[in-house]
Amino acid sequence: MNRTMTIAEMTLRETVRRRGVLVLLLVLPLAFYLGRRGDHLGQSIRFVCLGLAWVLSAAALFVGSAARSLEPRLRLSGYLTHQLFLGRLLALWTLGLALSAPYFLLIRFDQHHVRYGAIAVIMLLGVLVAPLLGLALSALLPRDLEGMLVLMTVVGLQMILDPAGNAARLLPFWFSREIGTYAIDHTSVGYLDRGLLHGAVTALLLLVLVAVGFGVRLRRRSHVRIVGGLS
Amino acid sequence: MRHEIWLAALTDELRRHGVGPDLAAHVVAEAAGHLRDSGEPPLRAFGPPSAYAAAVADSVGGPVTVAGSAPGPVRLRAVDIFKRYGRRTVLSGVSLTVHAGQVAAVVGANGSGKSTFLGICAGLVGADGGHVELHGTVGYCPQAGGTADFLLADEHFALIGAGRGVPRAAAVREGARRAAALDWVPGNAQARHLSGGTRQKLNLVLAGLGDPDVLLLDEPYQGFDRGTYLDFWHEVWRWRDAGRAVVVVTHLLNQLDRVDIVLDLSAGSTGVAA
Repeated sequence: MNRTMTIAEMTLRETVRRRGVLVLLLVLPLAFYLGRRGDHLGQSIRFVCLGLAWVLSAAALFVGSAARSLEPRLRLSGYLTHQLFLGRLLALWTLGLALSAPYFLLIRFDQHHVRYGAIAVIMLLGVLVAPLLGLALSALLPRDLEGMLVLMTVVGLQMILDPAGNAARLLPFWFSREIGTYAIDHTSVGYLDRGLLHGAVTALLLLVLVAVGFGVRLRRRSHVRIVGGLS
Repeated sequence: MRHEIWLAALTDELRRHGVGPDLAAHVVAEAAGHLRDSGEPPLRAFGPPSAYAAAVADSVGGPVTVAGSAPGPVRLRAVDIFKRYGRRTVLSGVSLTVHAGQVAAVVGANGSGKSTFLGICAGLVGADGGHVELHGTVGYCPQAGGTADFLLADEHFALIGAGRGVPRAAAVREGARRAAALDWVPGNAQARHLSGGTRQKLNLVLAGLGDPDVLLLDEPYQGFDRGTYLDFWHEVWRWRDAGRAVVVVTHLLNQLDRVDIVLDLSAGSTGVAA
């Protein structure tokens, strides 16, 4: 636990020292929010939730990529693979909560006649899923650019595809549209249930992907036998 | 150069050249006496401190080595290592055995597979044939990278220390001590603001943190000035004397007479050393 917390602490320290990045992370969802606030208040909520998910995924992608050269050394120093990715996830989840809180407050005081609890659920699920998506991309793709292009494709499709269609359900943030409809348009609780289920399944699948991606990349090669050392 | 400054520099250089403290004090006292009596400027009388220290070290045989003493247990055994990149064979049947208390140098031309071999020994690079046994904990110093741009040196020490089970305060103290041996005082600069040489010092300190049994060092002295380069070799010899097994990838040959094993990968990508 100490090792996982140390990774989380150092990841947070690294992230908060990138002040320019922090400002952009905070501002980008605001652009999403203000972009539709004038003509469609409900859409502005959906877009700000997607914006938060996008910036958190991007932050996770770059955190994962930046750590690539250091992680083999950390493995040799005694860290286990799951301690490395769980530590980074803890840091990113903390960052996600800190970024989402002001937007929840903004919606709370700027929007009326919406289900605030459901909006909080969208944000919490976004905070859970987005870092997993970014870290999975960083584990599976060797460079930032490839990961960023995939991420842009995912978020672009999320905005383009009809949320009622089956294809949209394969996208990682479909839950935000579904729960958003429940929160904004006051539809039946079935929307909330489907969204929750989708978010939970997506998070689980991405966690498995992260674990497998990190496990393969940081595996101890089969030709090495360590006697009396660290695993 | 004023006498006091020159004498202080001479003291440092004698230490770097492995001259013991008693002899160094004697040499410095002799030099001070000569300068006082002759009134000559030190640079004219003795030349640069580094050159004079090197001459003194050569005349007394350099640092004490333990060559010839019985080696300890095997710490690293690489047997019949093969590695290909596509159709190009980089390593073909390379073997190396290093015992506790030994220093092995892996030498060879650019592209001869030195770093690949070290990566295979560390388990970071897959091998197409052969096997590696590592007995004990491993410290690894890569040729580049291996640090986090936005972390301070102390945070690096804490990070690696946590992996090795060293408490944070102890890891930071040990890091500062090892940095001092390389003539470096870690400050409040993030790693991205360190010069290339200082960053490599950080890399080297991290490799030795927690006293691993096997140290795998991939040309760690890149960017070091001459004095730090000598400090580096003294650190290597200290590790050897403390019973560590040290493998250094190098293309600088002037220290090879002071290592126990030389594995030359130049000749057709094959080599056996034990």
